[in-house]
Order: sequence, then C-alpha cells, then structure tokens
Amino acid sequence: MDPTLIGQGLLSGFLFGGVYSLMAVGLTLIFGVMRVVNFAHGDMMVWGMYLAWMLSVRAGIDPYVGFVVCAVALFLLGLVVQRGLVERIVDAPHEMQILLMLGVALVLENAALVTFGPDPARVRSPLSQATVWLGPIFVDLARLLTFGLAMALTGALWLFLARTDLGRSMRAAADNPYGARVIGTDVRKVYGAAFGVGAACVGAAGALVSPILPFQPTSGLGLSVTSFNIVIIGGMGSLPGAFVGGILVSVAESMGAVFLSPSMKELVSFGLLIAILLFRPAGLFGKTAG
Amino acid sequence: MRLLALLAVAVLVALPFVVGSYVVTVLIFIFFYAYLGQAWNIVGGYAGQLSAGHAAFVGIGGYAAALLSAHAGLSPWIGMWIGGALAALLGAVIGYLGFRFGLRGFYFVLLTVAFAEICRVVALNVDAVGGALGLYITFTGNPRQFQFQDNRAYYYVALVLMLASTALVRSIERHRFGAYLTAIRQDEGACEALGVDTLRVKMQAMILSSFLTGVGGTFYAFYLFSLQPNAVFGIPLSVEIIIRPIVGGAGTVMGPILGSFILSPLAEISRTYFAQGGWNGAHLIVYGLLLIAVVLFLPQGAYPALLRLARRRP
Amino acid sequence: MSSRNKDTNRRTFLKAAGAAAGATALAGFPAVLRAQAPTFKVGVVHPMTGPLAEPGQACRLGAQMAADAINAAGGIKGLGGAKLELIFGDTQTKPEVGRTEAERVITQGAQMLMGSFDSGSTAAMVPVAQQRRVPFLVDIAAADPITANVAKSVREGQQKVQYVYRNFPTGSSFGRKAVQYFGEVFKEAHVSPKRVVLMYCNDLFGQNNAKGFQAAHAAAKPSWEIVDVIPWPEPPQDLSTEVSRAKAAKPDIIAPITRPASAQLLLPEIRKQRLDIMGIVGPGSPGLYEAGQIAVLKEDLEYVMASTPWANFKNPRTQKVAEDYLKRSGGKTFDTNSGYSYDGMSLIADILERAKSTDPDTIVESMRKTNYANGLMQYAGPIVFDEIGDNPNAVTTMIQILGQKAVAVWPKEAALQKFVFPRPKR
Repeated sequence: MDPTLIGQGLLSGFLFGGVYSLMAVGLTLIFGVMRVVNFAHGDMMVWGMYLAWMLSVRAGIDPYVGFVVCAVALFLLGLVVQRGLVERIVDAPHEMQILLMLGVALVLENAALVTFGPDPARVRSPLSQATVWLGPIFVDLARLLTFGLAMALTGALWLFLARTDLGRSMRAAADNPYGARVIGTDVRKVYGAAFGVGAACVGAAGALVSPILPFQPTSGLGLSVTSFNIVIIGGMGSLPGAFVGGILVSVAESMGAVFLSPSMKELVSFGLLIAILLFRPAGLFGKTAG
Repeated sequence: MRLLALLAVAVLVALPFVVGSYVVTVLIFIFFYAYLGQAWNIVGGYAGQLSAGHAAFVGIGGYAAALLSAHAGLSPWIGMWIGGALAALLGAVIGYLGFRFGLRGFYFVLLTVAFAEICRVVALNVDAVGGALGLYITFTGNPRQFQFQDNRAYYYVALVLMLASTALVRSIERHRFGAYLTAIRQDEGACEALGVDTLRVKMQAMILSSFLTGVGGTFYAFYLFSLQPNAVFGIPLSVEIIIRPIVGGAGTVMGPILGSFILSPLAEISRTYFAQGGWNGAHLIVYGLLLIAVVLFLPQGAYPALLRLARRRP
Repeated sequence: MSSRNKDTNRRTFLKAAGAAAGATALAGFPAVLRAQAPTFKVGVVHPMTGPLAEPGQACRLGAQMAADAINAAGGIKGLGGAKLELIFGDTQTKPEVGRTEAERVITQGAQMLMGSFDSGSTAAMVPVAQQRRVPFLVDIAAADPITANVAKSVREGQQKVQYVYRNFPTGSSFGRKAVQYFGEVFKEAHVSPKRVVLMYCNDLFGQNNAKGFQAAHAAAKPSWEIVDVIPWPEPPQDLSTEVSRAKAAKPDIIAPITRPASAQLLLPEIRKQRLDIMGIVGPGSPGLYEAGQIAVLKEDLEYVMASTPWANFKNPRTQKVAEDYLKRSGGKTFDTNSGYSYDGMSLIADILERAKSTDPDTIVESMRKTNYANGLMQYAGPIVFDEIGDNPNAVTTMIQILGQKAVAVWPKEAALQKFVFPRPKR
C-alpha cells in the first residue's frame, strides 16, 4: 500500500469531516432539546444549498458570506414547522412524529424539484478551486475553510447554550422539561427557538457546503442518512459529539475507500453505526442511553 | 360488523369482472401494500418496535425466490417460503441485536435502517446476485412459475395475501400474544416487572413480521419482473410500507387496509391530475401535504377516528 | 436557467391544461359531432420525479417535439392523417409506479407505449405490454435482459408474439465500441498509452457499462491495460480519496463513467490533485457533455472525450431540432436522452405509416420490418431490429469538448472536428 495514498486519504477524510460535522450539528441540537427526530433534515439542508445558489447566481453573493441569509431563512422555516406542526403532535405516538416529518420532507423535496428543476447544481466560489501542496500531499483549501467554519459554528453554538439565557433554558428543557416548566421556563418558546436554531444551523451548513457538494432536489435523503449516522455515533444531543462524529465517519469512509472498494465505503460507516448502537448507544459523547 | 366484512369481501371478489385492467392494477398494489403493512403492523404497530428497514425483508425474500427459480429451477411457489425463512433469519438477527442490547424508539429505527442499507450496498456490489443491474425475470405467464398471463390472477393472489394476513393479525389481537405485544408497547418495564419474557415476545413478533414480509418479496419479484438493489432494499420502499399502517392506525386490525385504501387511490388521482402538465413533482407535494394533514387531524390514525365517529352516531 | 425552466414548464402546463380541457370537452360530445381528425394515442412514460427526473424530463420533451413535428406535417397519412396524441406518465423512478402508469395510459387509450429510461420500470412494463398486446418501443434502457427475456420466452413458446423492441445501444455494445474507439484514436494520434484507470459510478448504468468495457477489453487484448478499477457509490459526496487512489496507480488515461453530479465532483478533483495524464477518455456516460455541465465545470471539461450515443450534427435537420430544443428546454443540449426519445417517436410514426392499421399484431409486423434511415442520432446504418428486438446499428460516437462545446470527433464519418489527444499540458 502506497503510504502517500494512505496519508492523503487520512488528510482528505479528516478535512471532509468538517463538512459532515456541519451537517450534523443542527440535527443533534434539535434532537437533544426536543427529542424530535427531524427526518426532513437533509431536505432542509438542500433548500439551504439552493438558497445559497440563488444568492450566488442572482445577486453575486459568495456563499461564505451569504450563509447568514440562509441561516435566517431556515430559522424562520424551522420556527414555522415547529409551531405549526411539531408542537401539535408532542403527545402523539412516535410513529406519527415520523410520518409528519416524512410528509414535510416529501413536500420540501418536490417543492425544490418544481422550483429549481432536476439538474444538479453547484455553487462556484473562487475559494473552492484552490489547493496547497505539502510535498506529495495536497490540502484542499475549500475543505480547510469549511473545517474551520465547522469548528467556529460548533464553538459558537456551545457558547450560546452555555452562556445565554435562552441557551440555558434550552439545556434545562432538554434535561428535564417538567422541572423547567416548574421554574417558569416558557418551554413552548424554548422548543420553537431550538428547532429554529437547529434549522438555522442546517441552512448555514447547506450554504457553506454548496461549493463543495453538487446537489439535486433528491439529495436530501442521502444527507439525512449520513447525518443520522454521525449524530448517533457522536451522541445525540452532544455538540462535540457531532463534531468528532463527523470527522470519525469521514475518516473511516476514506480508509474504506483506500483499502476496500470505494463503492462499499458506506458499509464502513454503517458497520461503525451498528457497533456503536450495540456497545455504546449513547454515542461517544452522549450522556444517557435511549 | 361481520356481515359488512363479508359483503366487502364479496364485492372485492367480484370487482375484476366489472372494472378494467388499470383499476385492477391499482387494487393489486392496494392489497399488496396492505399485506406488507399488516406484516409490519405486528412488530411495528402492536409491539411498538418501529422498524424503518422492512424493505430488507422484501428484498431478501424476492432475491431468494428469484435466484432459486433462475438457477435451480425451483418454483417460486416453494421458493417463497424459503425466501420468507431467510428474511425471518435476518429479522431474528436484527431483533436479537436490537432487543438484547436494549435499543428503543429512534435507536431501533436507525438499527433497522442500517441493516437495510447494508443489504442494499452488498446487493449492489455482489455480481452473483446481479449487482447494480439486478435480476430480471422472464415473462412467461406460466402459473407454475408464479406468473399469470391475466392480471386478474395476480389480483386474487394479492387479495388472499391481504385477507390472510388480516385474519392472522385479528387472531393475534384476540389471544394472549396480542395482549403481550400491546402491553409491551405501552409499558415494557411494567411487563417485565410482571414476569413477561419481553425479549422472547418481541423476537417472536419480529420473526413473524419479517417472515411474512419476505414471502411478500416473492410476489414483488414475480409481479414486477425485476429486482434492483436501490428499489427493493431502499428507504423509499420501507417508507411506503410503514406509512399505510401509520395513516390507518398502527396497532389496529383494519389500520393497514384502511391506510392503503386511502393513500394509494389519492396518490393515483393526484399523479393523474398533474400528469399532462409541466409541474413535475406537484403530485408528490400533494401527497406530502396529505400525510401531514393525517398527522394533524387524525393523530391516532384513520381507523380509530372512524370508530369514534361510528360510536357517536346514536 | 431555473426561471426559464419554470416559465417553460408553466407555459407547457397552461398549454397542456388548455388542451386537456378542450379534449375533455370534446370527449363529452357524442361521436357524430366530433369533427376533428382521428388520433393515435401513444403512452409516453418516463421518470419525471425521483433520482432520474433529470434525464426523464429530457426524454419527454424530445418525444413531445417529435410528435409536434409529425403532426404539423400532417400526422400519420397511412392512418388517414391521424395525429399523434401523447398520454404522459411519470414512473417516479419506481418500478411499481412504472407498471401502474403503463396500465393507466393504456386504459386511457394508448395503443403503443414508449419509455422508460430506467431499466427497473421498463422491466415492470414489459408484462403489461405482453398481457395487453400493446407494442412497446423502449427508447432508452441499458439492461440487456429487457428484450432478450421476451425473445427467449417467445422462442420457447411461452409467449406468442414479442411486443417489446428497443432502439438504443445495449450495455455490451457500449463497451465494445468504446474499446474499439480507444484503439483507433490512440493509433491515429500516434501515441500508445499503457495504463488506464477505470472509474465509474456504481449504479445500474455505470456498473453495466464498466462490465461491458472490461469484457470487451479482455476480448480485444489491446496494448493498453486497465490497471485499476475504482467504483464509487452514486451519488457520491466526496471523491478525493478515489482520485488519490487513481493517482497512486500512475495512470496515462482516466476512463470515467459518471452521472452529472459525480462528474461535477470528479473532474475538478482530478485537476486539484494534479494528475499527470494524457487525457480523460470516457467509455460513455452522461455528465461529460451537457450544456449545464460545461457551464459549471468550464475548463475542467475541456479536452475530455467520451464515447456516447450522440446526435448526427452533420444532418441539417438535427441542427434545427437542437436549436428548437435549446429554446424549449431553457438552455439544455439536445443529447442522448432527448435525442433517442425524439427518434423513438419518429420511428413510431414510420412504423404506423407502414402498418396502415391499429391492430397490434400488424403494428408488430411492421416494427419487425423496420428499415428507417431518417433518425437524428448517429447510427451505423438504418434502424432495424434483430431477433432479440434490439437495433444492432445503434452505436456510440466519440465526442470531445473543444472550445467549451461538445463535438463529434470519431469515427471520421461522424467527425465535425479533429480530436486533440494527448491533451495539452497546463
């Protein structure tokens, strides 16, 4: 085995892990606070990507700047979905929750198809073409940037949850909704904010990733599955878990591509998922199991 | 109530002689998905163990029967039981891993999805089972090969599948096994405290469910004449399997049937309505909105809502 | 691009809605009041939604344009000037929906079927065609067994008549032609590359094509070797490690089989990792020549070659249709998908002209006797059907992106420009 190939594989996998982490952060926040599994996660991210694409093509705004707009737009969408839909079925059986988000996913995916057409799109950013060479190994600058942004976003979210009142309320509601109500927290408002903030993260992730990943209306499902994998492995509700999980899954897949056949690299991440589910269901950084 | 059921069955039996082949086909899929939904209902509805990977069992059952037919000349009428048994084996593995390791709720969902995806990726990459090209079945119309020249023959097979599975689920509901399942769904801890071997009961449910689904896989293979990993192991098929019982009412006898009779015709009408126009995807937006509406307005499912309505009438 | 698409779609929708309303109104009148010419209904079923929506929508537009042209020229004279009326179906890229849609369009009066791009849906529609005796022209679908199985069951007496025919290169012919063109191009360029790395998308088309390519290579035993084979899951999220692996195999040539999404990842990656190769020569796949792809990939697509089914642009009619298509589709290239569906519809018109009847078995007889030389695609001869029901003259052409345009460069009869190989160093 070529050591250069292995080294490159590790580096590429590590950097791409930033992309994965960004995808997973919003999902883990929503689940961590509300115990709701957002099956429309990938489709919301695709809308973030298309919004970034529109900003880039129509207004000439680079996605590394425009992601703020996407975050705000998706925040509003998340708020609407939570207040209008999710809140109403808080006490309904689990399967109804799943059905609801599946319905939302279907609507989002086909709304994108009707609006943007079926062709794959990608956002061109001057940064997405640059590379830096360290001897025989190269560093993809766009991915390095995304990695940095993933760290920054995770850090910012961490600070939000730890230092702001709203953030602390979210954590309280996550740990003990009844107790939180007892001390006067408006749990309804907190849930709305959590879903909104989670969706905003997803929107920002979509925008930041749009120069790297080509996307189509049907990309949502694959993104959802990958994100769920990462979040389970890292630990549902854990921000460092989402970050580390993303890197771990990406490196594992990259090594799978180096040593096995790349078309089977998904088996590596699914195998990892099953191992975690069986032996440490809380995930690497999670607190309680199940 | 029983008279109503008999009347309904009589109508369904007579229908193919009155309606055209297109309606027969739509009904075939209504019955078939009701059957798969009923099979899922045992472990997902009654026992409350939500599996979103049931497509894996369809795939294994279908592939097994198709391969045995093509390579060993084994009639699918026999092959379907072998396919079902293999699917049950996978179901046992998944069930054991999930239940023994205490996976509940969403974690169990994801375990089932992971297994279905693994089956899909393996099937895509193993040439012996056709790889990405999949398996193609020659259309002969020979009943010994589980094929029929007349669409209506498939109709009756599908009808029998739906009725038999419904009778089975009704029987389960009335016996102790069904009571255990419902109790486990409502409060597993209390069950264990009362001395019920919840692991064994859940395993039985899972094995039965996956066996029946595997048998359904043979029908799928010999009605659609091709098996492709993405179509037959993929998440979209798992979704199609579970939405009908959920819409109709998970954990009720009529849930999968009612759900199927609601969703399939609406999907057909919606698709036909938008067919000639240019808004590709509009019919699926309508379908998605429908699912959302069901959750908001019929949060227990259509069948329980219907029962409540019936009870209110003096 | 998207707004034009939407406008086109909206216009099409309004036109279609108007037509549908009109047709429905007329259908309500007793036959004696119907003054319009007879119509022959053709069911046109493709994926309009789901993962294969993009090629499916192109197919439908190609078919529509051909039908419009035929109707404008007076319809099917052999059937008394009957106009072609298309009944559309959407398979949603799912086999079970394909089957249902086939049944539906037949119930709504379709007397012939065309479709359906995705081999799974097409296979599901075959029994419908056979059961209800509706001649079915497969405009695009790669899997060999689709027609071969029907031919076999007719041979063995299990079915009386074969109703399914295909006008598209089969998977195996893709591979053979590609290997042949590789050798010819290398010879013409006076270079002899030794190491070829085959990279492909691991879906039905990619795998089928890759297998065909490898089998043809083994049979032909040329002077170049396939030193590594790298499949990726389609659609991929990241191809950097795959390309690193290709680089480690020290290739002279990268032979990619892609789809549009994976091509958008693969080609920039090849440049970023500075692969020192003579060129990128594909055995034939989408993603390497469409106008939309060129717009996104720009210089990364320059000099890329692909052996793909292609329209014959030496034919002035093709140029005209391609311009029309550019307008009606909102900027897309007239290529494999739209082209073969266009030819499929033209072929159906020809078959009906010769059949002079709407009886299915007569139509099938006419199909078998087809000898049609007016196709817009590049063929190795007139369109004919062999014993299996395939067209042996459906072939591929080697095209190359030169000056940010896709042009045919090989074989010489089809070439509009001379190819550039090896590609210039950057």
